[in-house]
Amino acid sequence: MNSLFHEEEMNTDSIYPKVREIIADVLAFDEEEIQRDGSLVDDYSAESIDFLDLVYQLEREFKIKIPRGMIEQEARRGVANEDFEEHGRLTDKGLEHLKEYLSEVPEDRFTPKMQVSLIPTLFTPETFCKIVLREIEQGEQAASD
Amino acid sequence: MFHFVDQILELDPGHHALGIKRVTSGDAFVRPNAGGEATLLSCIIGEALGQLGAWSVMAAKDFAVRPVAGVVGEVSIIGEAAVGDGVLLDTTIDSVTDDAVFYHATASVDGETVLRLENVLGPLLPMEQFNDPKEMRERFARIHHSVDSAEVIQTGEGSIAFFDVSFDEVLSFESCKEATAVRTISGREAYLRDHFPRKPVLPLSLLLESLLQLGQKLLEDSGSCFAPTGARKVKMSRFVEPGSSLVAKVRVTERSAEKALLKFRCEVDGERVCVGQAEYSTVIGGNR
Repeated sequence: MNSLFHEEEMNTDSIYPKVREIIADVLAFDEEEIQRDGSLVDDYSAESIDFLDLVYQLEREFKIKIPRGMIEQEARRGVANEDFEEHGRLTDKGLEHLKEYLSEVPEDRFTPKMQVSLIPTLFTPETFCKIVLREIEQGEQAASD
Repeated sequence: MFHFVDQILELDPGHHALGIKRVTSGDAFVRPNAGGEATLLSCIIGEALGQLGAWSVMAAKDFAVRPVAGVVGEVSIIGEAAVGDGVLLDTTIDSVTDDAVFYHATASVDGETVLRLENVLGPLLPMEQFNDPKEMRERFARIHHSVDSAEVIQTGEGSIAFFDVSFDEVLSFESCKEATAVRTISGREAYLRDHFPRKPVLPLSLLLESLLQLGQKLLEDSGSCFAPTGARKVKMSRFVEPGSSLVAKVRVTERSAEKALLKFRCEVDGERVCVGQAEYSTVIGGNR
């Protein structure tokens, strides 16, 4: 675990400054320009290579492993595939489930029957703070078991 | 030929590889430097390091996938490799996942480092889309054999004309500030035969060399002689295929008597294909 978090309570607030620094570096923006609820795709032009880069830099910094496709897999958890999507588009139930999972994303960015392939356009810096926090905690849990 | 690993000297697939690239006068990517000595383009040394990393990963993944250019965190150009030199290539894989490889690498000549790559990311894509896996296995078998074998593959040579690293046309040029230039990929470029046979695309190494040279011209009138010392955060987000017109914008962001920093952005049809930064230092006499 990163020594940064030894002495303080760990939450997304304590992780955010480093996550923001990495996002700004990966996407070639100034840190001040990064908004915690900004859309990485729509506001900062993130592309698939940027997400690969971002995940790798976060893994290195926080000494964690972020499984690929994890966000979508987690969002689908507990919902049958046919209840989550239909012909590549979210069902009403899928949309509600996704909203609940990506609770940090402003409500107005979710659109009915949105394409499943567009889910990454919803991701924000806070989304990655949550993922990092969860992976750190899971790593700690595994170490103490 | 756009293969630059003559021989793999040591290999621990997916972890570490040592290889060699011998620089010959017949190499299509050799140019006289400012002192008149024939040297291999720096970006081709970087390409050779990347290709060695690719062999290491492809061997580890049983030639089912291959890496392509993605992100180069940092390139440091430290020295040169002249005709007659053997460039020792040393590539260490930091991590391999299902979709990407991450590595760092060093090239040296006679024990002196000439080029270093740090924080390199290569997305892994299905081999079948780019190369015939059987041909790649055969090439790998030829270059990966004992050091004392009589058969040594010579890479980089060809009867083709030297690759022209300049852009087709400079659209705008404001000395020491910014320049815009365009290059159209015709599909007849010799390097496309190997990069890649089933999906010809402009190599990042050649694009970077063109950008470094355009940046050098931009700095020429500053009263100092600048030479590229490296590049940072170079990111290739799309393939540049035949028929594409690539528009490159290079902008000076910092300049002092000793150093200069440039940012570049390349687009095809208004879509970002490559961004990054180039670094230059002043030289006495110049070495490129």
